[in-house]
Amino acid sequence: MDRGKVSVAAPYLPAPVAVPSSELLLDRLGAYWQALGVSDPDQVTALSEQALRRLPELPETPGVDPVGRAVVAAGDLLDDWLARALQLPRPSLALAAARAALLSGAAPDWPATLFAPPGEANALRDALRAAIAEPAPIPSPGAMPAQRIDLFSLLGPLLRLWRPEPRA
Amino acid sequence: MTQSVQSPIMGHTLRRVMFFLLVLLTTLVAMGLMVSVFQTDGISLMELILLLLYAILFSWICVSFWTAFMGFFVILTGRDRWAISRQSAPSAAPAAPLPRTAILMPIYNEDSERVFAGLRAIHRSLADTGRLSDFDFFVLSDTRDPEVWVEEELRWQDMVRALDGKGRIFYRNRPENISRKSGNLEDFCTRWGGHYRYMIVLDADSIMKGETLVAMVRIMERHPRVALVQTPPVPINRVSLFARILQFAGSLYGRMFTAGLNYWQLGESNYWGHNAILRVQPFLDHCGLPKLPGREPFGGDILSHDFVEAALLRRAGWEVWLAYDLEGSYEEIPPTLIDYAKRDRRWCQGNLQHLRLALSQGFNALSRLHFSMGVMSYLASPLWLLFLIATGVDAYFQTQQEQVYFFGQNWIPVWPVSFAVEMTTVLLVTLTMLFLPKILALVLLLKDSRLRRAYGGMLNATLSVVLETVFSVLTAPVLMLFQTKFVLAILMRRAVGWPSQQRGDHETGFREAALTHGMQTLIGVVAGVLSYHYVPAFFWWFIPVLLGLMLAIPVSMLSSSIALGRMSREWGLFLTPEETDPPAVLRYLEANLKEDEPVLPVLREASGSRFVQALTDPYVNALHLSLLPEREPPGKRRRHYLEGLIHQLEEEGPDSLSAAQKRDLIADPETLLRLHALFWSRSPVEVLSG
Repeated sequence: MDRGKVSVAAPYLPAPVAVPSSELLLDRLGAYWQALGVSDPDQVTALSEQALRRLPELPETPGVDPVGRAVVAAGDLLDDWLARALQLPRPSLALAAARAALLSGAAPDWPATLFAPPGEANALRDALRAAIAEPAPIPSPGAMPAQRIDLFSLLGPLLRLWRPEPRA
Repeated sequence: MTQSVQSPIMGHTLRRVMFFLLVLLTTLVAMGLMVSVFQTDGISLMELILLLLYAILFSWICVSFWTAFMGFFVILTGRDRWAISRQSAPSAAPAAPLPRTAILMPIYNEDSERVFAGLRAIHRSLADTGRLSDFDFFVLSDTRDPEVWVEEELRWQDMVRALDGKGRIFYRNRPENISRKSGNLEDFCTRWGGHYRYMIVLDADSIMKGETLVAMVRIMERHPRVALVQTPPVPINRVSLFARILQFAGSLYGRMFTAGLNYWQLGESNYWGHNAILRVQPFLDHCGLPKLPGREPFGGDILSHDFVEAALLRRAGWEVWLAYDLEGSYEEIPPTLIDYAKRDRRWCQGNLQHLRLALSQGFNALSRLHFSMGVMSYLASPLWLLFLIATGVDAYFQTQQEQVYFFGQNWIPVWPVSFAVEMTTVLLVTLTMLFLPKILALVLLLKDSRLRRAYGGMLNATLSVVLETVFSVLTAPVLMLFQTKFVLAILMRRAVGWPSQQRGDHETGFREAALTHGMQTLIGVVAGVLSYHYVPAFFWWFIPVLLGLMLAIPVSMLSSSIALGRMSREWGLFLTPEETDPPAVLRYLEANLKEDEPVLPVLREASGSRFVQALTDPYVNALHLSLLPEREPPGKRRRHYLEGLIHQLEEEGPDSLSAAQKRDLIADPETLLRLHALFWSRSPVEVLSG
């Protein structure tokens, strides 16, 4: 068999780049910030650089290449800011809900606020709090014991005669 | 809390005694007729079998007939002082504040757009009453399909944003759908039930008027002994000919049957699983369902849980009512004959399971009857088939006795005595069963001019009844064979599963019809040839059944036609009040489906795959992550399994994964975040940015 003729289908996702160039990293991060809603090129650059600075501190994520880690760092940066602004624990589902609220368009000017002095973030904070919808109310647990159903059995009466139930 | 078992109203007992006496007497008279025919030359084994089958089937028909007759009487006189909606309670204050009530919509792989359009219509209708703040909405998802799951989350978020429903409109997807729908409701009750005095359970296609919801809560407030009030859901909104015929029949005859059911069942009525209000605490205390011993189909989870829950509430002394006169409760029905049969297949297993419960200890007599009626609604089909076969065989043996049917040139046959009376009786019974309640329903229209107009006038309504009767005669043998097949499959312990329904309008093509009805057509042809050849006299009596089977393919295809459905509407046929003058809540639903513009941009854009969007779109990814339940990190084996799936996705793409595998990937928060980073690092940017 001529192994040279065996063709392998291209993988769905391209192979990871082991040592990405800084251009590639900035390009990817730029696209990611834009997808998050940051449209000002200066803000995109500043945020991308901040994300890259956090990269060395970020714990290793198995199976994620350096570009992927940069994306994780960008998300981490955003979560940091959200956690501080809304005083939410990290990591938490509430933080993910806050991120979803932020990205849902509830606060369209959020990138500007990110660069504003801390006191000017109050309006954004209120808008976000209003936009975070709890998926469920706080629990009010109750017990629902399985009921006993004594199914009919032809042998039932005989068995009861043989082994009478103890008196209460 | 356990209530007194018997309602203190003497009339309740009188009604039931009257009902069962009528059923018993009618059955005895018919049986007497049959026995006298058979007795002429002694009763053979075959005749004994025929008698037994006839007794079961006739009493079943009598229950239905007398129920309809009593309903006719109640509606005609307009008097029913024991209807739960009309019973007065001295302590009732009409403007008293309502207690918190949860509106629950359990869903399983449904069309999310329709589900949320329906919920929004109900929400708006409730807002019209000014009582919206007394109700919370819960979408209780058991959805397994990852595409539908993500879509549901987006639709929920959109509904919350659009209706300012924060803290009032909730959504959750169960990690495991243990015990199906009953487990879904149990999960709600045990986690959040304590917040609410009542819960109103809907189905994915249920629609209810706000006024009706408020009225249901008020009834419960007036009657502290009542644990459950069921409303009769009227079928609506489908446009295929099949569905429009069923909608017409359900609407016109249904109100008579439900009025009749309430007449003799009163506070010992049944639960149909949706469009009903339940008192949460008794439901928690008494409706935890056990697993039945043994394996499926008769053991395991209780499938048709509603009947059992009603029976358990009655066992604990609570009242269960059917508020037959509460309007504004709607549901959608399957659009084609094949979908109708598929729904039957799901219900059949659950109802046959009730065989084991009907004789269980501790249940009330009427609960046992409900179980038996549920069983009979499917067992009747194989019994009818057996009866037809036995009649044919009996007729064949009689022909072997060398009897002479025709004398000289006379074309009118002279039947042997037992054969002619037997067949005439069967025919008369069938005709009575089919026609009399339909005629009674038309009589009721004569009395009410508003209703008469709503059904398109007396002439159109009468013509619709005639056509509906012809259609039901043609489809009855087809459904008989379907149900017989389901019953046999279940008795042979072949579980039928719990597939989700295809609820939207769609048509049946020739291939689907031929594959589904081919065997039925063949049976019709073979039975026709055999009866024509061996029992020619019997053949002519058998024609309605044979015709239904032989025409199964064209009838199934034509009746699924949306064009014919629309045409019949233009001609004023099969009209229902909901079509003639739709209530506001149905207009809201239609508007939601046609014109509503989602608030979320992601829902306005076309999406190839919501699963891929959950991995790539930062918003969808964050929303999905925020809605995942908190749970322990996966163990080592699970991590390896997920790792394998990630590699498969990287190499072969999402199409190589099954729905369950996709679900596993997006159900784990760590994997979700990792895949998000992975896609953003390696996919072409143009793809990711849309």
